[in-house]
Amino acid sequence: MQSRDDLSDDLTAHFRARVAAESDLKPYPLPRRTLALIVAWLIPGAGHLVLGKVGRAMLFFVAIVGAFVLGLALHGRLFWPSPADSPDAWVRVDLISVLWFFSQIGAGLCYLVPYVANWGTTPQPWASTYEYGNTFMFLAGLLNYLVMHDAFDIGAGRKR
Amino acid sequence: MHVLMMILYAAIAATVLAAVDPRTDTTPQRLRHGLKMFGAFLGIGLLLSWILFPIPW
Repeated sequence: MQSRDDLSDDLTAHFRARVAAESDLKPYPLPRRTLALIVAWLIPGAGHLVLGKVGRAMLFFVAIVGAFVLGLALHGRLFWPSPADSPDAWVRVDLISVLWFFSQIGAGLCYLVPYVANWGTTPQPWASTYEYGNTFMFLAGLLNYLVMHDAFDIGAGRKR
Repeated sequence: MHVLMMILYAAIAATVLAAVDPRTDTTPQRLRHGLKMFGAFLGIGLLLSWILFPIPW
């Protein structure tokens, strides 16, 4: 059985090792961090690629682009802030469409390319998979916000 | 169809959430965390559907 002193030594060694391990977490140069954040929005996973995290970059690219493309294939719709239904509304835009737009635009070029090419801009609510498609596109955009945040944390030296 | 979509949704969400979680440092930790999250998504989804099924709306 370990004595109290042995346990104390173990803990000290553990924390010393932890501090030593954390000391290799250094912030990346500011231009590279900024570039990582911008490309992380445009292309899911590209921010991690800029920071040298190739495996995670590929994982995020496949998961997020895959979710968005699946959403489009399931007849999901690209949302844009639309005017309020009632002319008397105190806000001139339909707030829920703003939230949906915010969710989808998080996926960067995944949203912009089909929007410019006019794919998925016409609502198809009669399609049985319409709501599934929308949900996958919201998921892709929202997850990419988290991935951007992760790239920022890695760039700032707060995470490995 | 609905269950398949739920499984796909849970898999994608769990994969990304496990990879960005700051509490995990290594790949095996992320894998375990991701599998737990995937199981939780499916389990809670099925439980909620079972609870909500008798409600007539």
